[in-house]
Amino acid sequence: MRSLVLTGLSFMLTASVIGNAYYQKKQFYPSVVYITKSNPSMAVMYVQALVFVVLMGKMLRALFFGQLRAAEMEHLIERSWYAVTETCLAFTVFRDDFSPRFVALFTLLLFLKCFHWLAEDRIDYMERSPAISWKFHFRALSLMFVLGLLDILFVRHAFYSTMSKGPSVQLVFGFEYEILLTVVVMTFIKYLLHTIDLQSQNPWDNKAVYLLYSELVMGFIRVILYVAFVFIMIKVHTFPLFAIRPMYLTVRAFQKAAQDVILSRRAIRNMNTLYPDATPEELSSGDNVCIICREEMTSGCKKLPCGHIFHTSCLRSWFQRQQTCPTCRLEVLRMPRPQQQQQQQQQQQQQAPQPQQAQNQNGQAPLDQMQNPFQNMPGMFGGMPFQWNGGAGAVPPPNPFMWQPPPQQQQAAGTADQAPSTTTPLSSSPTSVASATSTTTSQEANSHIGGNVSATSTSPSSAPVPPFPGFPPFMPAMMPPMFSYGFPSPPSSMAGLSDEELRVMEGVERSNVEARIQWLRDIQALLDGAMVLINQYNTVASQVNSRFYSANPPPVVPISTSPSSTQQQQQNASNTSTCTNWWPEGSGARPKYSSTISNTHTTDSPKERSGSLSSPSEKVEKSANCDKGGSKGATGLPQKEEEIPKWSNPREEEHSDEMHEVRKRRLQHFSQQVDTNSTSLEKDKNKDFTTGDKNSANSEDKH
Amino acid sequence: MAQKRIKKELQDFGKDPPTNCSAGPVGDDLFHWQATIMGPTESPYFRGVFFLTINFPTDYPFKPPKVAFTTRIYHPNINSNGSICLDILRSQWSPALTISKVLLSICSLLTDPNPDDPLVPEIARMYKTDREKYYKVAKEWTEKYAQ
Repeated sequence: MRSLVLTGLSFMLTASVIGNAYYQKKQFYPSVVYITKSNPSMAVMYVQALVFVVLMGKMLRALFFGQLRAAEMEHLIERSWYAVTETCLAFTVFRDDFSPRFVALFTLLLFLKCFHWLAEDRIDYMERSPAISWKFHFRALSLMFVLGLLDILFVRHAFYSTMSKGPSVQLVFGFEYEILLTVVVMTFIKYLLHTIDLQSQNPWDNKAVYLLYSELVMGFIRVILYVAFVFIMIKVHTFPLFAIRPMYLTVRAFQKAAQDVILSRRAIRNMNTLYPDATPEELSSGDNVCIICREEMTSGCKKLPCGHIFHTSCLRSWFQRQQTCPTCRLEVLRMPRPQQQQQQQQQQQQQAPQPQQAQNQNGQAPLDQMQNPFQNMPGMFGGMPFQWNGGAGAVPPPNPFMWQPPPQQQQAAGTADQAPSTTTPLSSSPTSVASATSTTTSQEANSHIGGNVSATSTSPSSAPVPPFPGFPPFMPAMMPPMFSYGFPSPPSSMAGLSDEELRVMEGVERSNVEARIQWLRDIQALLDGAMVLINQYNTVASQVNSRFYSANPPPVVPISTSPSSTQQQQQNASNTSTCTNWWPEGSGARPKYSSTISNTHTTDSPKERSGSLSSPSEKVEKSANCDKGGSKGATGLPQKEEEIPKWSNPREEEHSDEMHEVRKRRLQHFSQQVDTNSTSLEKDKNKDFTTGDKNSANSEDKH
Repeated sequence: MAQKRIKKELQDFGKDPPTNCSAGPVGDDLFHWQATIMGPTESPYFRGVFFLTINFPTDYPFKPPKVAFTTRIYHPNINSNGSICLDILRSQWSPALTISKVLLSICSLLTDPNPDDPLVPEIARMYKTDREKYYKVAKEWTEKYAQ
């Protein structure tokens, strides 16, 4: 209504201007000259021209599109505003050759742009609307033909004018029409794809793939055009501010298209190679409706790592759009690796009970070896977080990687073949030592190796050898890092084992692990013992030191006295000893040890703990802040000395006797040394403590 | 595929319709539905009946349906064209979703607008700063357009 009024007003104004001119000049030419000379008249004429353009646009729109849908209209208006803003920006660059003709050209460009957008929207709508009439086809085809023709003409014109007259504003037009030409081409490709899709009754699975790729190619062309344009513009004129926004959008669209292509390819490849087919049991249990198509799943189904099952074809179509689980939105490409490993293990367990492959193991084993690395590779790459710029993550796994594992596995197989003859059944064999000294974190990897070795060991010799009685010597120490990093054991190779073989292997694995744990505990006990010794050295050394440096002789109190007397002694020590910072790192280092000791207190002997943490000693520590080292050493002395047997008592029960023997021997060794070296100063002290005291005293003397 | 799935959804919808919602195809065009939502009780849209159009794309379960209000509504996430700003209708679409779930989501959006991601910033601002006024205006609009 409003536009109608405006149009009418414009027509009336134009009529009055022309009438006025003709009334004044009476003749055609003088009146034309009069109108062109008069600014108000020209303004009216421009407005009238604009109105004509709008009317023309409406006419063409009615011709090619009929009624516009609301969404199309909204889209059009939104884009028009951006286009107008950018055109105004372009005016600032070309303000020198600003003329009515120039404005007219830009208006025409805007006009054509609008039609390109509308065509794009209309073709997109084709996908959504089920009923497409022949009229629609005719309109779409003719519109695209006209638009394409116009674009080509304008590009040609711009090219020749730039060639003949040098760079001018025609550069911008040529470039803009080139971009519009790509839009037309893309629209046409979409139209073709949709038309083909509509012709056939069943959905066309590959349509999305073609769409994706054509978008990628067009995006690439557009990016090149924009880059070239900006480059030329900077060389010839100035930086084209008005091209920034569309350029940014184009680059982003291209990036998204590329990302889509890569991600969907990877997700589909993952799906084909990595995810297991759903077993009939899984399908028959519970709800077996594919949530994507709402139809029952009978065959051709895949199970995602999250456990959800879908039709393979449905999943493929979905992965072309997004790479998430439809049910739980798990991002299948960003899945952390442990989960995948776990899943693979599950897979192994699932496949293990099926002994069907065990029969033709000989024939299939080499094939499996070659395929399995390939099966694992997408998982590894898929597990990495995707980096679009990364390049390395984006390319499909290179061939050398695929072919690397078989020799290793064969090597493993060779050593495993020798293994039964050379190695004794595990438990106390040196192999357990090797496995214990290997990285403690790679137990899982070791078990993987176990899988590998056992699987391959059965393959060359088809006789039912009890597989894998122990680790081949030095293999676990060498191999785990490689395997744990790169190649988890191939899932299907486990399937070659019978139930019994698996059980045997499990038992061996278990004994391996037990031996490892046992050894680790021994090491821990040794370390604890060393800690206690060090702690004793420290305390004794501090005491000796305080004796040296303080004026008063240190109160040498019998150690095995009651707690009350030791507290008195502590107070004495804190009072008498001066602020001598004789061992700076001692004060820093000692609390650590004492804390570890107190930890053992908590676990082993609560009584001791209550004794050591009694409130008077705390007070002492607070009061004597300056010589914490000395006083603490004094406090620590008797307690630690008492602790040693208590500390080792509970451990003794758990450990083997060897362990205790080792410690005893070491202590004896120390005491012998001390006996030969020096005479004892404090008679009340027991043997252990004297050794510590003497050693530290000697060292102090040397210093 | 799309046709089959839409048919199934229509059957399911008939079997177990969500409360306060109804939906069905317009004429014999399965890809174009009309839906109604009764304003939830604890919202200013109570006693209003809101009409929506639903357009299914031909690759439907893989792309979200286009859902828009045809009845005018005063809401921070619904503009004057009836477009709905709802993530599951755009980026967060999943083929596991159905029309009934979408309608339920829209119902809950009516009860709890999301002013942090508004489609109409003025209404969102009013919702944040002057809740009572928003409530009043929304009620007025409901009385004016949806009854």
